[in-house]
Amino acid sequence: MMGGYGDVQLLNDDGSRLDGRKVDEMRPVSIEAGVLPAADGSAMVTHGLNVAVAAVYGPMEAHPRKIQRQDRAVIDVRYNMAPFSTSDRIRPGFNRRSREISKVTAEALESVVLVERYPRSKIRVEIEILAAEAGTRCVGITAAAVALADAGIPMRDMIVGVASGKIEDTVVLDLDKAEDNYGQADLPVGILPNTGEIAFLQMDGDLSPDEFDLAMEYNFKAAKEIHGIMVDALKRKYDGGEA
Amino acid sequence: MVELVPALLRQELARLAEEDNRIDGRGRWDARDVSLETDCLYNAEGSAKVVIGGTVVYAGVKFELRTPWPDRPTQGSLMCGAELRPVAGRKYEPGPPSPQSIELGRVVDRGIRESGCIDMESLCIVPGEKVWGVMIDIHVLSDQGNIFDACGLAAIAALRTAVVPAERFDVGEDHKLLVNGTPIMASFTRVGGRFVLDANEEEELGGDERIHITLGDEGHLHSLQKGLKGVFTPAEFAEIFDVAQKRCVELRKLVAEKEGN
Repeated sequence: MMGGYGDVQLLNDDGSRLDGRKVDEMRPVSIEAGVLPAADGSAMVTHGLNVAVAAVYGPMEAHPRKIQRQDRAVIDVRYNMAPFSTSDRIRPGFNRRSREISKVTAEALESVVLVERYPRSKIRVEIEILAAEAGTRCVGITAAAVALADAGIPMRDMIVGVASGKIEDTVVLDLDKAEDNYGQADLPVGILPNTGEIAFLQMDGDLSPDEFDLAMEYNFKAAKEIHGIMVDALKRKYDGGEA
Repeated sequence: MVELVPALLRQELARLAEEDNRIDGRGRWDARDVSLETDCLYNAEGSAKVVIGGTVVYAGVKFELRTPWPDRPTQGSLMCGAELRPVAGRKYEPGPPSPQSIELGRVVDRGIRESGCIDMESLCIVPGEKVWGVMIDIHVLSDQGNIFDACGLAAIAALRTAVVPAERFDVGEDHKLLVNGTPIMASFTRVGGRFVLDANEEEELGGDERIHITLGDEGHLHSLQKGLKGVFTPAEFAEIFDVAQKRCVELRKLVAEKEGN
């Protein structure tokens, strides 16, 4: 974590957070499926001030051939932040951070997509972050899951990206930018809402075992809530507006 | 569109052209619906989303403080770049910027720069020491034809809504970026032997050369580009130039409406 412990006040005197949220309250989330006509499946997720768009292409022929797997599809994920997505412009192109996030996101998606249905093929997942305000990897995972469903690709379950963390020795759900920069821990996970399994896990900072349990409890609660919004978005597209 | 049968597609497009028809039923000089949204990205100092048919493009403006070039100590700078990332379509692959994306960014850049709508002197903070660098980044998210016009429109609309973040850089108060004019691009593609306005994806796949015309508020030319293989006559250019004039007036009106809100 950047900054230092306790050098910035992140909780109000009444225990609420700087943006007025309660400790176990997430930022508002809205989702739209099928936003990019060129893609086989797509979704836009707005999570607080974050905006992520995901496009899915495929299943398609896997090339170069050396990436092919005889028994399953490979999932090729690119997580990318647009140059204008952050306060200071970022140079276009991949960096170490986006490569790592792309890799672990691909592995998480491979854990839910029925990849064995499509041997020797490739499914491309493009995650573009248009506005970043803490928690973009989670928003990207949520967008990717809706885009995969929109593309009609069979999955064992949806996957929902959520994060909890710690600020001023207090566990809170869904860190915003200031909380991420000056907080004490961040725990992003990818949760399968129906099976209760976890397909994505990262963490940095300092959490006691009890704090970890509470952060996970918050994450599961939020995943359930976001899952409902994901399902609504897909229903709006495919059930003629009846959510 | 699967790129398996461009030859058959060309035949079909030629047949349609003979009947003065297009593959989606439009008239030769009819454009698809255009929607423009501005101020839509939180961290960009100016932003716009343009949708033309199935083409979706975002543009964002960012500012940086830099030292001016020694030979132009009182001038800031402007840079416009476009990214054609794999998100935009099946045919796009990861890797370093492609020649197409470089052409796209440079054509949009020239139209804006040469129209003079940004006074480089107005970007000066301390002569010889500190000037603003304005960067317009264009992100193509879905390519279903005519990304040039979408990118040109998104770029100027984002620029016209941009706020200079002077407070964040500790050099005065935030203020609207001064933009004197609205350069607009109109693009034409030869399809079935004749030029059409605002080609869609299939028309581009089965078409030939394209011509991009950027016009300023007074109808003056500020940037021209001919792309892809093919030749055209001065008479053909005169014909599309007339259409471009009308098209640019329409799109300029759309930008002005958004600013009125």
